[in-house]
Amino acid sequence: MEISSNGAETQPKFALPVDSEHKATEFRLFSAAAPHMRAFHLSWVSFFACFVSTFAAPPLLPIIRDNLNLTATDIGNAGIASVSGAVFARLAMGTACDLFGPRLASASLILLTAPVVFFTSIASSPVSFLLVRFFTGFSLATFVSTQFWMSSMFSAPVVGTANGVAGGWGNLGGGATQLIMPLVFGLIRDIGAVKFTAWRIAFFIPALFQTLSAFAVLLFGQDLPDGNYKRLQKSGDKQKDKFSRVFYHGITNYRGWILALTYGYCFGVELTIDNIIAEYFYDRFNLKLHTAGIIAASFGLANIISRPGGGILSDAMGKRFGMRGRLWTLWTVQTLGGVFCIILGQVNSLSASVAVMIIFSFFVQAACGLTFGVVPFVSRRSLGVISGMTGGGGNVGAVVTQLIFFKGSRYSKETGITLMGIMIICCSLPLFLIYFPQWGGMFCGPSSAKTATEEDYYMSEWSSNEKDKGLHEASLKFADNSRRERGRSVHSQTLPSNATPPADV
Amino acid sequence: MAARALLLGFILVFACFSDTCFAIIYFSSLQRTLVVTASHPQRLLKAGEDKITVTWGLNQSFPAGTDSAYKTIKVQLCYAPISQVDRAWRKTHDSLSKDKTCQFKIVKTPYTTTNHTSEWTIERDVPTATYFVRAYALDAQDQQVAYGQNTDAKKTTNLFEIQAITGRHVSLDIASVCFSAFSVVALMGFFFAEKRKGGKAQQ
Repeated sequence: MEISSNGAETQPKFALPVDSEHKATEFRLFSAAAPHMRAFHLSWVSFFACFVSTFAAPPLLPIIRDNLNLTATDIGNAGIASVSGAVFARLAMGTACDLFGPRLASASLILLTAPVVFFTSIASSPVSFLLVRFFTGFSLATFVSTQFWMSSMFSAPVVGTANGVAGGWGNLGGGATQLIMPLVFGLIRDIGAVKFTAWRIAFFIPALFQTLSAFAVLLFGQDLPDGNYKRLQKSGDKQKDKFSRVFYHGITNYRGWILALTYGYCFGVELTIDNIIAEYFYDRFNLKLHTAGIIAASFGLANIISRPGGGILSDAMGKRFGMRGRLWTLWTVQTLGGVFCIILGQVNSLSASVAVMIIFSFFVQAACGLTFGVVPFVSRRSLGVISGMTGGGGNVGAVVTQLIFFKGSRYSKETGITLMGIMIICCSLPLFLIYFPQWGGMFCGPSSAKTATEEDYYMSEWSSNEKDKGLHEASLKFADNSRRERGRSVHSQTLPSNATPPADV
Repeated sequence: MAARALLLGFILVFACFSDTCFAIIYFSSLQRTLVVTASHPQRLLKAGEDKITVTWGLNQSFPAGTDSAYKTIKVQLCYAPISQVDRAWRKTHDSLSKDKTCQFKIVKTPYTTTNHTSEWTIERDVPTATYFVRAYALDAQDQQVAYGQNTDAKKTTNLFEIQAITGRHVSLDIASVCFSAFSVVALMGFFFAEKRKGGKAQQ
């Protein structure tokens, strides 16, 4: 089968250079050209809005806890609830992206969770507070649509970077909200509202922002470089896939489960810190609300370069050392994150705490970016399900960590942070078990068997019936484009441009 | 980035400064030389509406001259033990700089040797909890030198409850509902429009 790269007259013109799937091979941050960079900007802004809403409560907790008469247990439970909703929502979102496309899937979720953020203004008891935080947390599933959308728009050389920047700038919302909410609250209170009313009014800001970003996604976004799912499915350019097959091939891939666990201990840790850090600084060092908010914000704000840095590092390692480089770097960075987490729990002075926290944030967030440099290669057919599993695993990590170490008054927050660091190191070890036959794993090189090629790996997701119908074409193109994951020394050999799948019926 | 570093430096300097300037005062080292009583219309009070009348004065059974260092009296509203359970941000510490028991100031006036009475309307940012009243005698450096409270040492008698305002308003409730409905309706509108566009494209 010939894969033509210059079908000049019939191919639409793109602003960026593209590969055979029309995915951009370059990432130009300051461009908003349709469809690639526009999709990037829409996805990170809408994801940012969801993060702002989900973590809008923590910086205002010193006020809310008095208004709603919350105990430390109530606060802990609400924190756990805020990240547990997204566990299954992320998996569902992954499947929805595979079936309906990221544009509709993400905009629907955002517009359906915006009402809950509005209703936060009406919360009047610990139970209602827990419920609004639980349902608002569902919006964090837009992470999956962000990563899926980037993986659909950007090619292997830049997919780590695109995923890292989109994810990182979205996660920024968790830091920005620690600054925005106390500021908005202060403004409203100074205008004349009483404290217990001012925080309620303040919640309208994230809610409105969320609603408007969803509108932008619906109006200006498109699912794939060639168009939206519905139109492509009608014209026959995109095959409509079956939910059961997509789901099956996703959950039976063991690499997805390992990445879900390890992501729980970089992203899950990030979510946990977003929930506890403002109160930690406010209570432990007797700071003002505003000051605690600024310090807490600097953790999330590091995302502006740390997660993208992880993605860029992953792509650089992938270019030189292939998939093995990506895996080794991920393990190293995440383990170092664990080390600095242990140190954070041990230091006693304010300035040392802030310094260690910032270093810790760089490592833990870069690990998130590095994880999504590996995820796009685990599966092509079930990319959404794998992204959803990994993303959901991140939230499971946050739930488990908060349940064990940060609920009620069992451990002091400092002890909890140290123990969390130890858990990060232990839960990063399973990365050693990831193995791709065509590229190798951390300890083993690629298999020398004849059936260990990129095509074999990605074609194994399709049955011969489905291949007869030609449903596997997109995966074939992807397999060819992913050959770069062998690393520079191997890739420099001339490889045939059209690879016929061996032993085809 | 520079502004943040400056702010951090400021906090650090201030933290060091405040530690060296003031010696650590422990509550257990203070003498209970003041008699404090608090009266209120009923046991359950409403924030923003009800008033508490506080009376304080030196306990006459102490020798004369006990109050020579007293310059100011600070009367505060303090949390009773039942409202401190599972709430580390209201915890009682012996070191007064870390103590979070008394978080609301009722009144702060210069010390007079005669008994003093003050009426205080409960402020609207006082949360729902059980309280008692404590008065600290401060010296010229604003450091606590003695105290008195309207309850016993175990903080079990003469407690009263305050019911906070909810902070909710009807206009807020209505705005929330309207905006929420708008989001959902807008989503359905988009779906409808897409379906119609898809139908047209097929023709």
